[in-house]
Amino acid sequence: MVAIEQSAPRAPATPPAPPAKPRLVTAPRRRRWGRIHDTRGYRAFQVFNAIGLTLVVIATLVPFVHVVAKSFSSEVAIRTGRVNLLPIGFNVDTYRLVSHDHLFWLNYWNTIKYTSVSTVVALVLTTTYAFVLSKKHLKGRTLLIWVAVFTMFFSGGIIPNFVLISAMGLRNQIWAIALPNAISVFNLLVMKAFFENLPPELEEAAAVDGLNTYGILMRIVLPLSKAVLATMTLFYSVSFWNSWFPAFLYLDHQNLNPVTIYLRNLLVGATGGTNMGGQISDLHISANVQAVAIVLICVPILLVYPFIQRYFVRGVMLGAVKG
Amino acid sequence: MTNLEADVGIRVMGSPATAPTPRMGAAKPRKRTWRQAFRRDWQLYSLALGPIAFFLVFRYLPMIGNVIAFRRFRPGGSILGTGPFTLNYFDRFIHSKTFWHVFENTLILGGLTLLFTFPLPIVLALLLNEVRNGTWKRFVQSVSYLPHFLSIVVVVTIIYQVTALDGLVNQAIHRFGVTPIPFMQQPEWFRTIFVSSEVWQTVGWGTILYLAALTMIDDDLYEAAKIDGANRWRQTWHVTLPGLRTTMITLLILNVGTFLGVSFEKVYLMENPLTYSTADILSTYLFRVGMASASSLSYATAIGLFEAVIGLVLIMSTNLIAKRTVGTSLW
Amino acid sequence: MYHSNRRRSLTSVSAGAAVVLALGFASACSSKPDEFKDKRVGAMSNYAVGVDFRATTDQPLHFSMMYNNHPNYPLNEDWLFWSELEKRTNVHLDLVEAPLSDYNQKRTTLINAGQAPQIIPKTYPGQENEYVSSGAILPVSDYVNLMPNYSARVQNWNMQSDLDTLTQADGKYYNLAGMHEEKRTEYSFAVRTDLLTKDGIATPKTLDDFENMLKVLKDKECAGVAGCYPLSDRFNFAPPERPGGNLIRTIAAAFGVRAGWDYNTVSWDFNQKKYVLTAESDAYKQTLQYLNKLVTEGLLDPESFTQQDDQALQKFAQGKSFVISSNIQNVINDYRPNLKNIPGATVGMIPPPTGPMGNVMFGGRLENGIIFNADVKDSPNFVAMMQFVDWLWYSENGQEFAKWGVPGVTYTKDANGKRTLNPDITMLGFNADTATKQLQKDYGFYNGIFVYGGTRDLMHSFYSDEEQAFLDSVKDREVLPVPPPQPFDEDQQDQATQIEVDLTPHVMQESLKFILGSRSFDDWGNFVKELDGLDAQTYLGLVTDAYNAFQQR
Repeated sequence: MVAIEQSAPRAPATPPAPPAKPRLVTAPRRRRWGRIHDTRGYRAFQVFNAIGLTLVVIATLVPFVHVVAKSFSSEVAIRTGRVNLLPIGFNVDTYRLVSHDHLFWLNYWNTIKYTSVSTVVALVLTTTYAFVLSKKHLKGRTLLIWVAVFTMFFSGGIIPNFVLISAMGLRNQIWAIALPNAISVFNLLVMKAFFENLPPELEEAAAVDGLNTYGILMRIVLPLSKAVLATMTLFYSVSFWNSWFPAFLYLDHQNLNPVTIYLRNLLVGATGGTNMGGQISDLHISANVQAVAIVLICVPILLVYPFIQRYFVRGVMLGAVKG
Repeated sequence: MTNLEADVGIRVMGSPATAPTPRMGAAKPRKRTWRQAFRRDWQLYSLALGPIAFFLVFRYLPMIGNVIAFRRFRPGGSILGTGPFTLNYFDRFIHSKTFWHVFENTLILGGLTLLFTFPLPIVLALLLNEVRNGTWKRFVQSVSYLPHFLSIVVVVTIIYQVTALDGLVNQAIHRFGVTPIPFMQQPEWFRTIFVSSEVWQTVGWGTILYLAALTMIDDDLYEAAKIDGANRWRQTWHVTLPGLRTTMITLLILNVGTFLGVSFEKVYLMENPLTYSTADILSTYLFRVGMASASSLSYATAIGLFEAVIGLVLIMSTNLIAKRTVGTSLW
Repeated sequence: MYHSNRRRSLTSVSAGAAVVLALGFASACSSKPDEFKDKRVGAMSNYAVGVDFRATTDQPLHFSMMYNNHPNYPLNEDWLFWSELEKRTNVHLDLVEAPLSDYNQKRTTLINAGQAPQIIPKTYPGQENEYVSSGAILPVSDYVNLMPNYSARVQNWNMQSDLDTLTQADGKYYNLAGMHEEKRTEYSFAVRTDLLTKDGIATPKTLDDFENMLKVLKDKECAGVAGCYPLSDRFNFAPPERPGGNLIRTIAAAFGVRAGWDYNTVSWDFNQKKYVLTAESDAYKQTLQYLNKLVTEGLLDPESFTQQDDQALQKFAQGKSFVISSNIQNVINDYRPNLKNIPGATVGMIPPPTGPMGNVMFGGRLENGIIFNADVKDSPNFVAMMQFVDWLWYSENGQEFAKWGVPGVTYTKDANGKRTLNPDITMLGFNADTATKQLQKDYGFYNGIFVYGGTRDLMHSFYSDEEQAFLDSVKDREVLPVPPPQPFDEDQQDQATQIEVDLTPHVMQESLKFILGSRSFDDWGNFVKELDGLDAQTYLGLVTDAYNAFQQR
C-alpha cells in the first residue's frame, strides 16, 4: 500500500491517482495484457512498433552478420569487396589457425580471469557504497556522494597513476587491473537511484524483526535488486572484458595480456590508428583474421546475456510488498 | 591498510563536525549530532570504509599530479613538475583561437550526441515494453545490443563503407536523382554522421537500465490504473514513465555532466583535414598538441582542469534544476 | 658541468671517430683518468671492430630492454634467437613488452614515470626530443667512443650530416640511430603493368609521363566502369594529420619540397640555401596545382585523401583504379593476391616520377634507433652494455646474426659471400613453396627490433629480383644533401609547438581544398596571409635563429 505511494509520481501533474485498491494477493499477474480490449489506435501502434523494431533489428544485425560472413570468407573475396551477408569462398582456416595459437587462448583465459575478479571486486564495492548513499537520513551523505562525484571530473592522469601502481608493487599483477577501476561512479549513482526506489517500509519492517544493517542489505535489499545487480554485472563485466588500456600500461608481458590487446594489436596495428611510428608498411594483416578476432571476442559475452536477461522480470516488487 | 581506513573514517566523518553543516533548500527531517548519527548508523558508515579507501588511494592520491598544470613538466623529470609556479598554461589556451574553436565543436558535438542518445533508449525501452511476444522481445533486445560490442575501428570502417561515393547511402539517394555526396569530406555532414553512428551504437545498450528499472514498477499500479479505466497510453504516461523517473533523471544528470567527453578514438579515426572545422574536438586537439611538444602535458593538464570545472558546474546546475523541478536529484 | 666536453664533442665526433677507431682499446689506457673505471664489469678490454662481443662475467649479464611485440611474429621465449644470443654474448635481455599498436605510448609513459628500462630501441629520430630537457635519457653522443663499430660506420659512410640533424640545442645527440650505407627508396607507386603493356605505355619517368599514363588509362580502361579513376590512393591514416601521405610526398619531392608524410613547417631551399616556409613556397604551390589538375581531369580519385586503406585496396582489386601508392611489400602482400580474380592482371612498381628538381632524390639515411635510460651510465656494466649494443646493432656479424640467424641452421653462406636461406624456412617470399617454417615467427630472426639499416651487402641480401629492379631504376639519382640542423632550445620548442599546433591543421585543410578544387589558386595570396596570421613568419624566425646559432658553434 505504502509502496504504491512511494513509487507513484510526485510530478506536478496530478495522476489519475491510482488509489490503492485492495486486491487478491493471488491474482495472476501474467494475464494483465488481455484484460482490456485494445483500442484501434493501440492496435495500429502495435503494427508500427513491430515494423520499427524490425528496422532496428536489421540496422543492428546486418553489420554484425557482415563481420561474421567475413570471418568465414576468403581473403581475396573480402579485399575485392564481394562479401556481404554470406561468406564467399568459404574458409575456416583462420579459425583453425587462431584456435591453434597458444597465445590467443592464454590471453583469452587471462581475460576471463581478469573480468571475473574485477567484476566481483567492483560489485562488492559499488553495491555497499550505493547502499550507504541511498540512505537519505544518513548524516554526511552529501559529502560521501561528493567524494565520488568529484572523481568523475578530476583525475590524476596517466603518469601519477602509473607511478602509484608501480610504487604499490602492483605492476604485472591482476590487482593492477582490478583495483584502480573498481568503482565506476556512473554505475554507483545508477545503483543508488535503484536502491532509493525500494520501499523503505521493507527495511523498517526488517529492522523491527531484528535484522541489522548488514542483514538488511544481504537478505532484503539484494534479493529485491536482482535486476539491477544483473545489470551492473553486465555493465562491469562488459567494460572489463573490453578494456585494454590498464592492461597495456601495467602488464609488461604478453603472457599476462588480456585478449583485447591481442586483438587490438591485430586491428589498430593494421590500421595505423594511433601508431605513429611510420611502420605501417611492415604489417600485413588479413581482413579475414580481423573478422575472426572480432567474432571470437564478442561471442562469449553475447552468450552471457541471456542469463542476465532472466532477471529482467517484471513484478519482483509485488511479492515483496505483499510478503 | 586498517590504519589507513581508520584514518579515512576519521577524516571523512570528523571534519564537517567542526564546521556548521551547510544545507541547501531541502530541509532534513531531523538534525542529529555526529555522535548520535554515528551511534545510530555505524554499520552503514562501516560499509563505506572500503569504497572510501578506494577513492582516496586510487582517485584522490594521483590528483596531486595535477600540479603540473601550474609548473613545467619535463617528460622523464619529476612528475610534480619543475621550476616556478605559473599560470602560463591557462593563459595559453585562453588566448588560443583554436582552443575556443575546438571547445565550441566539442560542446556542439557532445550536446547533439546527448540530445539523441539520451531520449532514444527510453523510447526504445518503452516500445519494447509494449511487445507481447516474449521471444520476439528478447530477440530484439539481444540484437540491439550487438553494435555496443563492435570495436571502434570496426564501426568506423563500416561508416566509411556506408558513406563512400559508391556506398550504400549514395546508391540510395542516387535512385532519387541526387548526385553522390562525398560525405566524409564535407564538414557540414560530419555531425550528422557522427551522431547517427553513436545512436546506432548505443541505443540498444542504453535500454538495459530502463528495462531493469521497469522490473521495479509495482504491477499493482497497472492494475489500479486499469480499474480506473486508463488505456495503454495513459498507463504508460502515468505509471511507466514515472516509474522510470529516478533512473532517467540520474542518467540525465550524469550525461549532462560528462557530455564534453566525446569519444576521442572515434572522432580521431573519422576526421580528416577537410572536416576539421566541425570535427576537431578538445581531445583530438590535445592529441595533436601532445604529439608535437615536450611541455604539452602541462598544457593538457591545464585544459583538463578547465574541463573538469565545467563538468562540475554542469552537473551541479543540472542537479539543482532537477531538484527544483521534478524533485529528484543525485544529492 | 660538461661544457668543455660538450663543445668539443660535436666537432670531435666525426674527426674523432677515426682516432677512436685507431686507438681502439688503447684509449682506455690513455693519460687522462678513466672515466669508466667502475663501469667495466663484463666489458671486453680488447673490444674493437671485427671482435665479437662476449661479456666476460661468469654469469650472463642482464640488461632490461623495451620490446616492440609485432602481431605477425609474437614474442616467443623459445626462439633460437634468444638462446643463441645468450650463448654468443653472455647477455640476457629482460624484456618489457609493448604491443606494436601502442609501443610509443608505453615508451612515453615508462620514461615519464621514471620507470624506463635501460635500452629502448625502435625510437624514430625526433621521438627522443621530448625527453631531452629532463635529463631522463642518455646523451649517447658522449659515449660513442665506447662503440667502435658504430663509430667506424659514421666515419666510413659519411654519416655526419645525417647525425647533425639529431643534434639537440646542447650540441649532443640522444638517439643512437640506425644507419643505412646506401640511401634507400621504399615508397612509390604500384601500377597495373598488364595495362601498361596492353595500352603501349612506357614506364613513366617524369611528372608529365605520369600524367600521360593516367590519361591513357582513363581513356582506355575507365570507359564504362562506374566510379573509375586511374589513381585512387591510400595511406591517409598514419597519421590522419598527413592525408595522401605518400602521394603528396612523392609529387612534392619532384618539385623539390618535403610535404605529405615528410611535411615539416619549414623546408630547406636548396637554391637559396636557407629555410623557407613549406606551405608558402612555390614548389609546394606547384605540387598542389599538379594534383589539382589530376583531380579536375578525372585522373585522381577525390576520395584519395580521405578514404581508408581498405577502400583504396578494394578499388584497385576490382579494377576501378590502376595506380596506387606502394612499397614492394604492399605489392607482394596486398595487390598481387587481391588481383587474382582479374585474369591476366599483373602489378609492379614504377620509380617515383621526377620533376623540375631533376634526377634527384632526398637524402637521409637514418633509421629508427636506440635511446638509453640516463641511469645506465651509473651501472657497473655500462661499458659492457655499450659494447653489446654496438655489436648486436652495428657490427657486421651482429647484424648478420640478427637478420639471417645461425649458419648451417637457418642459412648457408657460399664462398662468394652469398647467403641462402635453408629451404625449409621462408621469409619475404623466399622459399614460399618449400618452407614449413618462418624465419621471424619460428626462429625470431629478422626481427624489426634488431634489424634496421646496415651495409649495402646485408640490405641487398634479402632483396627479391623485383625489389632489386626497383632500386636499380632509381640508382642513378643524385642524393640531395640533408638539410642543416636547426635545434630548438626548450623555450623555442615551446613557442614553435604552440604555433605549429594551430598552423599545421590549417595548412593541411587548405591544401586539400586547393587540390580538390574547392578553393581557387587565385586565392593563394589570401592563403599566405592566413598562414602569416597564424604566426608562420614567427616560426620561420625561430628556425632561422636556431639554424644560425648552430652554424656559429
